[in-house]
Amino acid sequence: MKRNDAFGTRELPEELQESLQDVYVDDLLVTLKYFVDENQPHLWIEDQDICARCQHKPCLYFCPVNVYSLAYDGTIQVSYQACVECGSCRVACPYTNIGWVLPRGGYGVAYKFG
Amino acid sequence: MNNYDNSGKITFDAIVIGAGLAGSAAAMIMAREGLNVALIERGNKPGAKNYFGGAIYTHAIEEVLPGFMDLKPPFERPVTEAGFWFLSKDGMMRASVQGGKLEKEPYDAYVTLRAAFDPWWAEQAQAAGAFLIPKTTVIDFIRDDDGHGQVIGVVTDRPQGEIYAPVVIICEGVNNLLTQKLELIGRDLEPAHTALAFKQVISLSPQLVNSRFGLPDNSHGLAVSVVGDVSLGLPGMGFVYTNKGSVSVGLGVMLDVLAEYRLKPYEILERYLKHPAIAPLVEGGQLLEYGAHLIPEGGWRDMPDVYTGGVMVAGDAASMVNALHWEGTNMAMIAGKLAAETAIEAHSRGDFSAKTLSRYEDRLRERFILQDLRQYRNFSKFLEQHPEFMEVYPAFLNDALGGFFSAYGKPKRQLFQEILGALTDRRGIFKAAGDIVSMGRAVMGW
Repeated sequence: MKRNDAFGTRELPEELQESLQDVYVDDLLVTLKYFVDENQPHLWIEDQDICARCQHKPCLYFCPVNVYSLAYDGTIQVSYQACVECGSCRVACPYTNIGWVLPRGGYGVAYKFG
Repeated sequence: MNNYDNSGKITFDAIVIGAGLAGSAAAMIMAREGLNVALIERGNKPGAKNYFGGAIYTHAIEEVLPGFMDLKPPFERPVTEAGFWFLSKDGMMRASVQGGKLEKEPYDAYVTLRAAFDPWWAEQAQAAGAFLIPKTTVIDFIRDDDGHGQVIGVVTDRPQGEIYAPVVIICEGVNNLLTQKLELIGRDLEPAHTALAFKQVISLSPQLVNSRFGLPDNSHGLAVSVVGDVSLGLPGMGFVYTNKGSVSVGLGVMLDVLAEYRLKPYEILERYLKHPAIAPLVEGGQLLEYGAHLIPEGGWRDMPDVYTGGVMVAGDAASMVNALHWEGTNMAMIAGKLAAETAIEAHSRGDFSAKTLSRYEDRLRERFILQDLRQYRNFSKFLEQHPEFMEVYPAFLNDALGGFFSAYGKPKRQLFQEILGALTDRRGIFKAAGDIVSMGRAVMGW
């Protein structure tokens, strides 16, 4: 079931699009403190076939810490270790295809400033 | 403290899920009245998961914890200047207030960082006698097997992690999966009603914060909303808050917009930080922390049922946010208190049924919380339908004032015509008048 047909279909005026600034996301992530749960990913793709059919793959863009990337084989790769548990992917995946639970107690991001 | 009952179950008088602003307030009030309270927090400490602009309002703290200033809350700076910055592509118009009431103690609001404030807030609950259980995630509820299925406790992710209590106050935050599990709301968050907020905390010496933001000393602070070019003219709003030795700069953009345009939040933020009017303010500063958090901006229309048998919901989990006024922290604290008072009343009656707990909703209605949420129920819809408020007007204000204060060497009549023309080119005078009326309607709740 598709949630929103408009996802991925709109475009900014060229001038605005070009005014966006390239960012090396790792420079942002190094400022964050994480307690990574190596045994239990708290995010996962329910069905990679659905992702393969998802035309615009908005998760590759809107995730604020770039958890989702395209692997060489075309599947969606999930770097759950970088997750800040905001919930955007669970809510805005067009096909509700992202499994999302809270990390086990004590794990995950731990903001130092907030 | 012996929390084991005769059958060996861990039992409290009340459980609070989440040691944030609502949760610790609820725990504080109940513990102060002698209830045995478990305050469960999934982070390694309170505040670990929380991220906001932002400022905290003193009226709410004072109501929960009278005389709190004596307890040395970890504030950054009082808000002595507040306002709007309107960004055009390459300029900025500022409209802010300072002095007067904002200069006088007790201050209305303080700029705050949550990783410092929330642990202090939870400590006040502990000082009142609440039992903080950190590093523990609640994953489910325990239901009574008498046929009604009333909630009588929670299941945590600890071994033998069941904890019993006749009343549970859910303060789980914006990702209200437990609230959904109880079917207090029948759907997950709507991207069109949810903002993704992201910010950078950037270090600057206190002296630089003062000189760049026009603050006389460290006991003055700035809190502004930034509109216009900051969000590429799309529905969204930026902010700047001055901390003691750093600034918090960020913005919120509606999640459906990010998905529709396939925008990367950190690229928008970087563009904002490079804006000619913003870059000099943060120049030379070092990035201390980047982060992101959702804001439930649907308000009234996305509120779950806030109570059922044995359960109440407060704070972001119940969509208690007034998006226009950046209020939410104050609603969370007061809602936590009102839920706690209802729980205390339920204990004195020995009745935790939905009927008794419905007094919580009555209490919310008697206060600004439900009144404001109801009044502003159309506001987020209004912004969806009037994107010009994000794009056209900020640019117009810049042009108009820029024109007004320039000499140009031409007749003033011509100048005013040009200024008016700058608006009508963009929007049309009747449309503009209509926008003002519909904005008034959205704000006043007509």
